[in-house]
Amino acid sequence: HPLNKQPANGSGEGHAKHRKAFPVLGTDYTRVRMPFEISLWILLACLMKLGFHVIPSVSSIVPESCLLIVVGLLVGGLIKGVGEKPPILKSDIFFLVLLPPIILDAGYFLPLRQFTENLGTILIFAVVGTLWNAFFLGGLMYAVCQLGGPGLNHIGLLANLLFGSIISAVDPVAVLAVFEEIHINELLHILEVPCASLLRGEAVPYQGDSVNPPLPSPSQVLYHLFEEFATFEQVTIIDIILGFLSFFVVSLGGVFVGVIYGVIAAFTSRFTSHIRVIEPLFVFLYSYMAYLSAELFHLSGIMALIASGVVMRPYVEANISHKSHTTIKYFLKMWSSVSETLIFIFLGVSTVAGHHYWNWTFVISTLLFCLIARVLGVLVLTWFINKFRIVKLTPKDQFIIAYGGLRGAIAFSLCYLLDYKHFGMRDMFLTAIITVIFFTVFVQGMTIRPLVDLLAVKKKQETKRSINEEIHTQFLDHLLTGIEDICGHYGHHHWKDKLNRFNKKYVKKCLIAGERSKEPQLIAFYHKMEMKQAIELVESGGIGKIPSAVSTVSIQNINPKTLPVERILPALSKDKEEEIRKILRNNLQKTRQRLRSYNRHTLVADPYEEAWNQMLLRRQKARQLEQKMNNYLTVPAHKLDSPTMSRARIGSDPLAYEPKADSENLPIITIDPASPQSPESVDLVNEEPKGCSGLPPSPEEDEEGLVMRAKEPSSPGTDDVFTPGTSDSPSNQRMLRCLSDPGPRPEPEEGEPFIPKGQ
Amino acid sequence: GEIKKETGFSHSQITRLYSRFTSLDKGENGTLSREDFQRIPELAINPLGDRIINAFFPEGEDQVNFRGFMRTLAHFRPIEDNEKSKDQNGPEPLNSRSNKLHFAFRLYDLDKDDKISRDELLQVLRMMVGVNISDEQLGSIADRTIQEADQDGDSAISFAEFVKVLEKVDVEQKMSIRFLH
Repeated sequence: HPLNKQPANGSGEGHAKHRKAFPVLGTDYTRVRMPFEISLWILLACLMKLGFHVIPSVSSIVPESCLLIVVGLLVGGLIKGVGEKPPILKSDIFFLVLLPPIILDAGYFLPLRQFTENLGTILIFAVVGTLWNAFFLGGLMYAVCQLGGPGLNHIGLLANLLFGSIISAVDPVAVLAVFEEIHINELLHILEVPCASLLRGEAVPYQGDSVNPPLPSPSQVLYHLFEEFATFEQVTIIDIILGFLSFFVVSLGGVFVGVIYGVIAAFTSRFTSHIRVIEPLFVFLYSYMAYLSAELFHLSGIMALIASGVVMRPYVEANISHKSHTTIKYFLKMWSSVSETLIFIFLGVSTVAGHHYWNWTFVISTLLFCLIARVLGVLVLTWFINKFRIVKLTPKDQFIIAYGGLRGAIAFSLCYLLDYKHFGMRDMFLTAIITVIFFTVFVQGMTIRPLVDLLAVKKKQETKRSINEEIHTQFLDHLLTGIEDICGHYGHHHWKDKLNRFNKKYVKKCLIAGERSKEPQLIAFYHKMEMKQAIELVESGGIGKIPSAVSTVSIQNINPKTLPVERILPALSKDKEEEIRKILRNNLQKTRQRLRSYNRHTLVADPYEEAWNQMLLRRQKARQLEQKMNNYLTVPAHKLDSPTMSRARIGSDPLAYEPKADSENLPIITIDPASPQSPESVDLVNEEPKGCSGLPPSPEEDEEGLVMRAKEPSSPGTDDVFTPGTSDSPSNQRMLRCLSDPGPRPEPEEGEPFIPKGQ
Repeated sequence: GEIKKETGFSHSQITRLYSRFTSLDKGENGTLSREDFQRIPELAINPLGDRIINAFFPEGEDQVNFRGFMRTLAHFRPIEDNEKSKDQNGPEPLNSRSNKLHFAFRLYDLDKDDKISRDELLQVLRMMVGVNISDEQLGSIADRTIQEADQDGDSAISFAEFVKVLEKVDVEQKMSIRFLH
């Protein structure tokens, strides 16, 4: 009988428990050890980052990467001093976890226009440049080894070439880290970074007894090539051809995989209008899947990542909400920032942890030849490329490209993977690589910033493109395409134009939700810009203070278009100032209005934007109301009451609005109103957003149109339903607050635009 | 010879373009008319097609000869390094940055009053954007554009303002076609 047994057990246990006190507190480190340590590392990384920027003097001289390596060294030393074995940068963690965010960040925000314009140059630098570096370096090192005395003689050509290939490729992580800080102009940024990124591939599993490290693609080609060379009597042409073929397969295969995932992601984002919250997650997951899938097939994961980011971006951005866009941007920046930091710290730690073998000759000559090879390579290639470029690369550019060739953690981790069996001199290689890395990162990294300033290299333009630039650029595109057609010259513009047309006709329809697919690029750009400025204004606290507000605004992700306003500001008289305010208000509100008609928030609009919408619309309506009031001389009960009344009315009539799907132009809404409408109010309602289904969350917009009804105070609907609606009070207050702002003076011309075409 | 000097094209480029000119010239009378241009299929779907065609024809004329053809095309020649250092005494080459911009400006400014007025801007926008956008919206874009660029407050964009706005744009690259050597 269980009950009988229990007391016995209980007493038994009670007896046992009497032995030791009931543990109130205890430690169980082993259980949380892994996540705890990881979090600790990340926290350390972030704190370091924070620390550097708190001390401004240091961070302006020394780039972050240097400081982080030093920190890593210290921490590694500390750990070693304590007696523990410091953790080493495992290649799996590096390649699967730390690297993708950085690459995705670079790829997603790749300035596509400049990339495609310079594609040829990039490819040449990337492929030919690296090959040249590898061979040159490897060959020279071999010579050095032969001459270098007993310690070095045994290192074969193969090993040297391999070494050369590992160290020759520029490291995207290090380059990104440094270049981002110096804000170099985008052209050079592009030339340097994708160069490096393009080369990373994954190893093709090769039969043979060699370990299969993930090597950069040309290096991988070289590696296997050399391996065969070592085992066979002779290298046949077939092998060499196959080798090069594999390079192309790996890269293009990676791109292909990336494109597929990009398209799928874009397609998925078309339907996410109902669940805005997880939109960013789709972007990240699809990109990561692209990376992993490419790695699965031993294709270039990095290419896949970049390709998917590039492909999905235009469509996804058209589909997702503004907040999701911000989220994506910030998460990417955050992750890549943390990854970068961790990588550098680990580099420092691993330096301390690893075994080293210092050989003066080898190391010094490596360093020297690296530099020489890079400079020579850049010079020769630039000379060659400049024959084909319209805008030549100046010597300044060349210098930066050559000087910006930093090596980094990738080279290190690759070398780390070399098997001792095959490469007994691995430690020496490691030491040499570390030295080169340190040198490039510290010396070159530190000096590049003052050099950039000294040489007055063009910096990245900080402000966003103005709408002028956008219009004129498009204009010029069309112009150039036309001229090319006249000449019968199938150049750059011709194909770009064809691609755009194809894009517009077929692809956009599939991948972009709703009638955003028809929106010309110019309009989309304009909307984005207006929205940003609108948000800016809200954050700065009110429309009535545009000029001063703009200068004091501090917004996270918006580049305030302060330039035009500030420029005009000093010269203005009061009148002009008012005029400008008027113009801006007009523009903003009209856009807001139009934005509604391209509404992509169908159901749950996010409250912040909604509040902004409402405020703007309410203002408009309030002003129109005043006008109409003046015109009609019939004064409705309260200006403030009317929205309430209308809302109440509509609140009781949930079927008032049906969202119309996919109407081409401005939406036409058929309403079953509670009271008879006058034609004017119907027309005004036409301006209203169509997508406002789900009434309770967003009742306000809907009846803005019906505010006009207020001019018929005697309409039957008004009296009965003057009960505050369902969830009215917060919105009520909001509205009252908004309306109590010193409203703008009634401007007669505002009436104009709101008389829609229908009339 | 003269064409070469005036436009700066190389001999082979001129030959090539001449053969293109003759292939376009269906009437075989040594000049091109507007219809000849309009026969080019891609130009028909280009939103700025008509304006581009008009740019070839000098004031009031309906025919353009080879020299005129080349003059217009010369605007799009890439700027070469050795030209930059040429003496400032001679007339500015046709493909200088300023002349390129002037060419583009003339495409906007139809009434040739050296200003791009709001209406002219609207016309261009309408051509580029298509029929789906409402007039008011285009109007506000135009207003915004002018407001951004306008410095002397005349609600129109003068050539100087036009140049200033595009100073960040790499016009030399954008407005150049790599004619094959």
